Amino acid sequence: MIGERRLTAHLDWPLMAGVVALTLIGLATIYSVTWDYRLGRPGPQFWTQLYALPIGLVAMAVALTIDYRTLAQRSLIFYALLVAALIYVSINGDSRMGAQRWMTISKFSFQPSEFGRITMALVLAMTYGEGRRGARTIGDVAIGAILLGVPLMLIFLQPDFGTSVTLVPVMLGIMFVAGMRMKWIVVAGLVAVLLSPIVWMYVMQDYQKDRVTTFLDPSRDPKGKGLQQIQAKVAVGSGGLLGKGFRQGSQGALGFLPVAHNDFVFSVLAEEQGFVGVLVTLALYLFVLWRSFDAASLAKDRVGAFLVVGIISGFGFQVLYNITMSAGLAPVKGLTLPLMSYGGSSLVSTLAGFGLILGVRMRRFTN
Amino acid sequence: MLTSSAAEHRRGFETRIGVLRIGAILCFAALALGFWILQVVQHTKYEAWADKNYLRTIPLRAPRGVLFDRNGRVLVENRDAYTIVLLRERTANLNQAIARLAEAVGWPEDRVREPIQIAIKNKEQAFRPVLIVDHATMPQVAAVRARKLELPEVEVLQVPTRQYPDENLAAHVFGYVGQIRDDQMGKTEYAGLEPGAIVGQAGVEREYNGELKGEDGRSNVVVNSVGRQIQPLGQEDPREGERMQLTIDYDMQKALEDGFRAAGFNGAAAFLDPTTGEILALTSLPAYDPNAFATGIDRTAWAGLIGDPLNPMSNRLIQGRYAPGSVFKIVTAIAGLGTHAITPDFKVSCNGGGTFYGRFFQCLRSHGVVDLRHAIEQSCNTFFYTVGSKLSIDTIHEYAKKLGLVGKTGIDLPGEVDSFVGSSEWKQREFRQPWYPGETISVSIGQGAVSVTPIALATMISTVANGGTLVTPHLVRARDADGTGWKPVPMPAPRAKVELSQEDLQAVRDGLWMVVNGSGTGGKARIEGKDVSGKTGTAQVVSLTGAKAAAARMDVRDHGFFVFFAPRDNPQVAGIVFAEHGMHGSSAAPIAKYVLETFFAKKEGRPLPPLPAALKTAPAAEPREPVISTEVRRGGRGGGPVPER
Repeated sequence: MIGERRLTAHLDWPLMAGVVALTLIGLATIYSVTWDYRLGRPGPQFWTQLYALPIGLVAMAVALTIDYRTLAQRSLIFYALLVAALIYVSINGDSRMGAQRWMTISKFSFQPSEFGRITMALVLAMTYGEGRRGARTIGDVAIGAILLGVPLMLIFLQPDFGTSVTLVPVMLGIMFVAGMRMKWIVVAGLVAVLLSPIVWMYVMQDYQKDRVTTFLDPSRDPKGKGLQQIQAKVAVGSGGLLGKGFRQGSQGALGFLPVAHNDFVFSVLAEEQGFVGVLVTLALYLFVLWRSFDAASLAKDRVGAFLVVGIISGFGFQVLYNITMSAGLAPVKGLTLPLMSYGGSSLVSTLAGFGLILGVRMRRFTN
Repeated sequence: MLTSSAAEHRRGFETRIGVLRIGAILCFAALALGFWILQVVQHTKYEAWADKNYLRTIPLRAPRGVLFDRNGRVLVENRDAYTIVLLRERTANLNQAIARLAEAVGWPEDRVREPIQIAIKNKEQAFRPVLIVDHATMPQVAAVRARKLELPEVEVLQVPTRQYPDENLAAHVFGYVGQIRDDQMGKTEYAGLEPGAIVGQAGVEREYNGELKGEDGRSNVVVNSVGRQIQPLGQEDPREGERMQLTIDYDMQKALEDGFRAAGFNGAAAFLDPTTGEILALTSLPAYDPNAFATGIDRTAWAGLIGDPLNPMSNRLIQGRYAPGSVFKIVTAIAGLGTHAITPDFKVSCNGGGTFYGRFFQCLRSHGVVDLRHAIEQSCNTFFYTVGSKLSIDTIHEYAKKLGLVGKTGIDLPGEVDSFVGSSEWKQREFRQPWYPGETISVSIGQGAVSVTPIALATMISTVANGGTLVTPHLVRARDADGTGWKPVPMPAPRAKVELSQEDLQAVRDGLWMVVNGSGTGGKARIEGKDVSGKTGTAQVVSLTGAKAAAARMDVRDHGFFVFFAPRDNPQVAGIVFAEHGMHGSSAAPIAKYVLETFFAKKEGRPLPPLPAALKTAPAAEPREPVISTEVRRGGRGGGPVPER
């Protein structure tokens, strides 16, 4: 084993700073949008998020400290725990907002599904990175698909379409860098297109269908389902170049934009900080992705590299989707913006994921 | 060292990471472009949209301008009416709130529920108060205020409301206010008003609505997505309407209406300052209660006013048209004198009538030889037939016009109708027939093709009183737009001038003086030392032959006019009293006398006279003036032929 001092010398401080900066921007936006003018203080969501931050930083530190290979080797155990927890919440979990996602342990409640991405990244990195030659055969791909399929279905049935979908890019990202043939990707894409009518008819729930149809024509139902999308555009557009200012936004703070502190936190940022704030934040996210890709390139083994790609694929997909949705340019889904949206479980799991990424880079010279 | 296979792997891995990097950059660039379009290119559109989302205004009604009488006495002011409203945003259990409020105001629940359901159906926002009780009674207000804690969602609001004097005083001067009508909404005069705005609908309220209405204020509030009021954003206070000093004298107005009531007549009257045209008192009876409109008149009350056969909504003074009868003899006399067809010494021998153009025209009795003065005093038809036979209808028309009896007087009240005196041009236009000279004989005593409003007759007698200047009757003396003090309203320019020698004018005035102070029909208006001068007239409701047949269906008693001025040689007041179905002009004279006594008492600082007992006695039957015309006229407004404009 290598001494701690030598390890910390290889810690990617800029990546960590970028991650923490995004967390703080998110926290400030939640503070602003939940501000209660009558009581003169921020809403309870701010405090929850504030308490989640140190927990997340601890989780990041823990994930960083433990060798990712140790974790990868035990990934099947985590995988089993995840599946068990998902089955548990589907039977015993707390229902909130029409979905059974929450699991309560003593005072804390969390969403096991939020930890699905890390677990999947570990399992798949292990599957393709250790002792195999990547994802080159149909069999390789099939194994990954089965591993993905079980938690995917469980989360999908909660129902949490958004979170379940974020598991897919984890697998696709790892398979892609693991050498999956391009023609399979094309075939997979074709299959997806051909399957989509079946999914539409037999799998998707009415509310999910509604969201897609209203996305295609929001004006069809401007007071109902299309409202969020229209109001998100209004929030972003009314922000202008420089924004309305901290705590000066109307769309989010007055409730015209639903779940402004959560799914639409980026819309609020755009409203209050304007295009300038949007550019800064986008640049930070891109920077975080860039440094993470560096970590993947620098990784000393394929397990580490695939792990980083798996985590960052899920992260990147969710960031892109949420921000697109925040501007009213994608159908509204219950997908949060990693690092910025309100949500303790999400913050903790995301920071833990970055702990793993930092750990992979830090350990690039170790044996 | 890496194996070659591993190196190959490495390269493939690096390439694919590179692909991901490029993909990420492209995605973020696309996002940045998207945000740039929304936030910079389309910013204006979305900014307006966002403002519309959260800014709401609640109108604050401006008090209308206060109306004063000529001596500064308040005539029409504003009082606070109480309105009980319910704020839906404050209640969690609407049904409970409705039940409690219904109990407090003593209404059935359904009556309270109805406006709330309408508000919900119309998707009105929850912060908007729902009007439950308009013009609440004091017990209702007290009950709601006493239950303040039980009824947190209910508020009592004060709304400025017009307060008119009691007993419908001067109702046709003030008019009334009401919610703006649909057909008024599009007009420029009412630009910027919202449905439900209160505007003047008649009288001075209507005529001067623009000045009196003031400017409504607004309270701006920030609301959230469910319409709950978050914080006030400041308030624009309403600006009170212009204060106006009317030319009306309260005491004369009161005397006039008390006089009418005591005499038991309906009708109309106007008292003017003959030199300026300022109206000192003006009435039309029956009237309505303007306060009933101010507090929102209900359907049945409105239907009752509209359907009333006595037509209380009509201002007879300016909207009723009547044959003036003998009052018109003043016009004939002035036309004769002005054209030098006669002199004051011109004499006619009356043997109970005369034959003109082969037809016999009746007089009341044989007056013997009369000159102009006595002809006026005795109201001798034969004399005026003779004068009329010397004049053309167009000359009479011309003089009638100069004396204000053709067209409108221009009084500042809405809805005035044209007065009419026939002419050859009119006859040709309307009937494609020449004017027959025989028709002029009827016109010369105010029958036939003559149909005028009482206010027109008032301007005619004012012109005689002031020496020949046709003034415009008007109701506003001074205005105060911004509380900086009264600014006098200039007198409207005279409309015409009758050239008449002093001698001729004096002859007419003498005759009119003798009507009241001699042996004429106006004796009941005589006031010692005041030289009241005047002339009575009678307007037939139906012809003698038709009277019996019509008597069962309608009031067929004739209308009485009395036009007057005083004192004879220095007239300070002039006017008309029109007694509907008063049988004869002499029955209008006592009312005029009482108001004139009030005028002089006030002027000389004496105590106001009490209501004379004589007024309360039934009108005595006076000798009926002769009737020439055989045509049947309708009573009330619109009798006689009417010219088209």
